[in-house]
Amino acid sequence: MDESALERYFDDSIANDSSFMLGEELGLQSPTSSLQDSSYLSMKAGPSGDLGAELDLSFLPDDLSTQDDTAEAAQTQASVLDESQDSGVCLDYNSQDSTAADPQQGMSSLGPGTGTSPFCPMTPMTPMTPMTPVTERSGIIPQLQNIVSTVNLGCPLDLKFIALQARNAEYNPKRFAAVIMRIREPRTTALIFSSGKMVCTGAKSEEQSRLAARKYARVVQKLGFPARFLDFKIQNMVASCDVCFPIRLEGLVLTHQQFSSYEPELFPGLIYRMVKPRIVLLIFVSGKVVLTGAKERAEIYEAFENIYPILRGFRKQ
Amino acid sequence: MSRPGLSCPGCGSSNIVEDDLYAQQQLVCVDCGSVVSEGALANDPVGGSEVSYSRTTAVAKKPCMNLIKGLQRVKALCRTLRVNREIEDLSETYYNQAYQHKSFIKVSLNKKEVLAGCCVLVSCRLLNWPITMGTISCLLDADSMVVGAVYEEMVKILNIKAPIINVTDVMEAHSQEYKISSVYVPEELAENSKDLTKRAVALVELAADSWIVTGRKPIPIMMAAIYLAWQSLKPTKQRLKYSLDKFCQIAKVNKHKPALKRITEMKEVLCKLGKEIPWVKEPVTPDNVVRLMEDILQHRDALLRRALRTHEDALLADCQASCEDSLIEETAPSQISEVVEQTPDLSSVELCESNAERAKQPGDGDDNQCAASEQHSYTQGSQDSSQNWGKRVLFAPPCVIHAKKRRVEQPEPKDVTGDEEISDSEIDSYIRTPREARDFALAQKMFSMSESEKS
Repeated sequence: MDESALERYFDDSIANDSSFMLGEELGLQSPTSSLQDSSYLSMKAGPSGDLGAELDLSFLPDDLSTQDDTAEAAQTQASVLDESQDSGVCLDYNSQDSTAADPQQGMSSLGPGTGTSPFCPMTPMTPMTPMTPVTERSGIIPQLQNIVSTVNLGCPLDLKFIALQARNAEYNPKRFAAVIMRIREPRTTALIFSSGKMVCTGAKSEEQSRLAARKYARVVQKLGFPARFLDFKIQNMVASCDVCFPIRLEGLVLTHQQFSSYEPELFPGLIYRMVKPRIVLLIFVSGKVVLTGAKERAEIYEAFENIYPILRGFRKQ
Repeated sequence: MSRPGLSCPGCGSSNIVEDDLYAQQQLVCVDCGSVVSEGALANDPVGGSEVSYSRTTAVAKKPCMNLIKGLQRVKALCRTLRVNREIEDLSETYYNQAYQHKSFIKVSLNKKEVLAGCCVLVSCRLLNWPITMGTISCLLDADSMVVGAVYEEMVKILNIKAPIINVTDVMEAHSQEYKISSVYVPEELAENSKDLTKRAVALVELAADSWIVTGRKPIPIMMAAIYLAWQSLKPTKQRLKYSLDKFCQIAKVNKHKPALKRITEMKEVLCKLGKEIPWVKEPVTPDNVVRLMEDILQHRDALLRRALRTHEDALLADCQASCEDSLIEETAPSQISEVVEQTPDLSSVELCESNAERAKQPGDGDDNQCAASEQHSYTQGSQDSSQNWGKRVLFAPPCVIHAKKRRVEQPEPKDVTGDEEISDSEIDSYIRTPREARDFALAQKMFSMSESEKS
């Protein structure tokens, strides 16, 4: 499952590399190269959309409130950007579509519609010369290690009763106000609160997390509560991988000071807070990288592809 | 001034004026001087005057007593560390700012003291006066993790970007702590701090190049460097017999346990370089390497180059042998490419190029095979081929060389959709039978009764 998601992500970015390169040629305003390294994907949406319209080339901030005057193009772009905030994969399609449509005058017809169908086939109106990708693919796939998800069972629960009737439950109200329940397959742990809300941790994939949460809900159902399965949401994903070369953390913190925090007296790894996507990476001298804070798998892959060229740069230094 | 319509009850005159006596308004008759009315108190608005009591009686707002004490503590710390005026002023500014912030205004006094130390620390870092967090923790007599947490929070709130400290910068200050000069110890054991620092700094630089320093706490590294430097400055039998424990005792410093591991790691690196010394005939072991340390450190650049070359030659020989054995050898070419990219910054660029050329040297046939399998290994991704790339390069971070054995993960079902059927029997296995539940409840009751009897 993760292979196909990764392929889709790569296909999107390769197909959109033309807008990549054009964006870079337009003379990006930001002077620091470090910004470019870690947030080049955010730049993509800005300049590529600006191609057709008479907008100034300053970067549009993430939270676009109201755009007036040259509003049409800006509004489309704003709605497109707002839509694309949620998923890293969609971003590429939306920017491509808005670029393609800009030369046409029918911009009002675009509106938020472009954001809603992420998998519509690509039919660019203006032919663009395909260019080589800006960076080589790393060939390394981060492996998911932990998924945290929440679900609402929709009814108040008697924790004492659950702890009494279920084999796999522990409940110690003096220590923590929830029942801790575990199942064997998929190997996960759940915290079940008396309000009916539940947190499920330990799964290795989104589907496994969902299956596990459903199993917990079934157990609660069997114990006699009218449990439902409302608002299942993945809250956090943790992944790790190994680049297989040592990394000079002192050098990395010098060049990427705005994003990194390295205090060897407190923690042996460097904490890199990437802005786009909003992921925290723990980078260690051994070359192992831990990525966390993602709500979707694509964010993890994107973050790793962003950091890999930076780390490669520190290999020979 | 005069109030028409009023007549004095004393003399009947209508010449009544308003007069202020001690800020109280009075209506007074001009002719006879009697007070017609003193309206002020009775005329106050209901519920008190418009100006509240606390405001009328308040003195100008004094700064919080704890803030003043905190600033004094900051000053005291700066004086103890003997930093310059700029740093002192900057720390006081930061302390003022941080103290007022909502995350720090209501914390315990203990934490506020730690905050004072953190302000001094960050100012020192910004103004290029290197001190370690360990020093501050010692001065504050606080746990370094607590100091670390407060430091991180403060830096986030005040939005400061402070550079990290370099171990070599801190070395001089750190070596002052060791009471190992001739004033404190007998002549055979004494060293002056300048020589000690110089030798220790060279050793730390070598350690930094060979991946011993990155990610590790600086103080044990410095302790190990100073100990080895002390031993090597006069490698007599007496000195060599001194263990780290005894050394710390005579130097009157607290021993750090990780320093022992650092000593081992540094000796390993020294041995690897010591082997390359042309005039040394006997094998170099961690026991006798201390005597050679002076030469090793003096010529470390050249020795590093030689050691890398020797290592690559050895790997090439392996590669050739294994290439001849089997056509598809994935690991060997990636070894060479990794070693080529591993060279630390001390060795020159031409070394890398000559290595690359030499890698292509072994025969055309081998070359093609190696190149082909190198392509293969690259597309496979470096993860498979390198189970422990650390074992194949000359210098690698010790955590890679001695990798921890990872628990083997059970293969999870790969094609889970999340919407599968959940079997009843599986769910039933998680629920107690009624009898079991009764037994459990009984046992719990008995257990809690015995607990309450005990207490």
